[in-house]
Amino acid sequence: MSHVGRWLTEPVPRGRIAAFRTLVYLFVAADLVLFTPWVRTHASVPGELYQPLFLGRLLPLPTPTPLLVTTIFWLLLPLSLLAASGRAPRALGWPVFLLYFEWMIIAMSYGKVDHDRFGLLVALAALPTAAAARHGDDTRSEAGGWALRVTQIAVVCTYFLAAWAKLRFGGLEWLTGSVLARAVIRRGTDFADTIAQVPWLLVVAQFGIVAFELAGPLAFVLRERWRRYAVAVFYSFHLMTFATITISFAPHLVAMTSFLPLERVRPVVWLRQLGRWTAGSLARHGRVEQPVVGSAPVGEPPVPTG
Amino acid sequence: MDTPLTTAGRKIRLLVTLLCGMTLLAGTVWGRDDHFPFGPFRMYSTSSPPDAPAPDTRVEGIDTTGTVVPLDQHNTGIRRAEIEGQRDRYVADPGRLRGVADAYATRNPAASVLVEVRIVIRWHGVRNGRPTGRSTDETVARWQP
Repeated sequence: MSHVGRWLTEPVPRGRIAAFRTLVYLFVAADLVLFTPWVRTHASVPGELYQPLFLGRLLPLPTPTPLLVTTIFWLLLPLSLLAASGRAPRALGWPVFLLYFEWMIIAMSYGKVDHDRFGLLVALAALPTAAAARHGDDTRSEAGGWALRVTQIAVVCTYFLAAWAKLRFGGLEWLTGSVLARAVIRRGTDFADTIAQVPWLLVVAQFGIVAFELAGPLAFVLRERWRRYAVAVFYSFHLMTFATITISFAPHLVAMTSFLPLERVRPVVWLRQLGRWTAGSLARHGRVEQPVVGSAPVGEPPVPTG
Repeated sequence: MDTPLTTAGRKIRLLVTLLCGMTLLAGTVWGRDDHFPFGPFRMYSTSSPPDAPAPDTRVEGIDTTGTVVPLDQHNTGIRRAEIEGQRDRYVADPGRLRGVADAYATRNPAASVLVEVRIVIRWHGVRNGRPTGRSTDETVARWQP
């Protein structure tokens, strides 16, 4: 038990939490306006077509109206952008989670449930429980470790349990059936149309997909270096899916960054270094004067905690 | 320096993880889409025989000028998959398609009024898991005011 507990809360650098937090909340904002803008269009759909999901009936959540949809949109957008700054992780994180969850109930209550964002929802639920974190901070945090670990588990579950669902709903016939041919017919790209003509390729691919999904949990028993290769395979799988049937699984891809050493990704620091290098280079060529005293400190300013 | 959790903090996290994991597992084994987000991950999970025709659903309307108008998420706010997800309801009660016409009118106030809305399935031929290139259309639900 304690071994499992230690694994679940294996400490990670706070800088990784800060970077993951920024990425996840920026994605929420982007999701609202770029990736799933159709959720907002449900404002104009008559309430009689709303078929609330179990949680929508249980709570019970109101039937979406133009006012409700617009209000949630305009609350969620600025709150998620503020949360991306890393400030007030609880005070901003919990409202963002609750609003996004309601946004998803609105999204999925008209006859179609998507399965691409379980990992993102887990990340949004877990991030407020992680301690405040600054970009670049090497201090390790167990609370942050748990937030990342449960997101990783959710990502792996999305694969493994998707294979389980295929066997539950499709049976072993799924492997030899025509599910990929159907997908290509409905939304295939030119690339997909081309490879679909290769005899039996789609059926072989169906075996490959189930094997890949069932093998997902192996990511947790691999050594760090090999786990990164496994994550690269995960991303490659989605690249192929997008190239053939234009399904991106974008929220899942964001959640999957929980496996990566995000603390090494420092775009602000890199931009500053580039700026200093450019300024220095220009100065050497006599086009601008060298600064006399007090050059800017290396690194990003600390993010206030809250 | 590491930041350790308290014993209580660790126990709560372990408990929440187990509870959510068990709920998700139960949803996968017994649940339905209705149990989102703990329902089964059933995207592309149903199977069809290698030679079964593949359905490609579309919704279209006819306006007062006789023009056929494709009805999609851009001009109605309703996704194709949502029409398919509620297809049985539309087939049992085609009057529900009035909701699609109303959504179209709301989003396109300057457009001609729709005098018919229908759900059409184009059945594409499949042989040995490959598209044959042949298809037939079937109208499964039709509404006229």
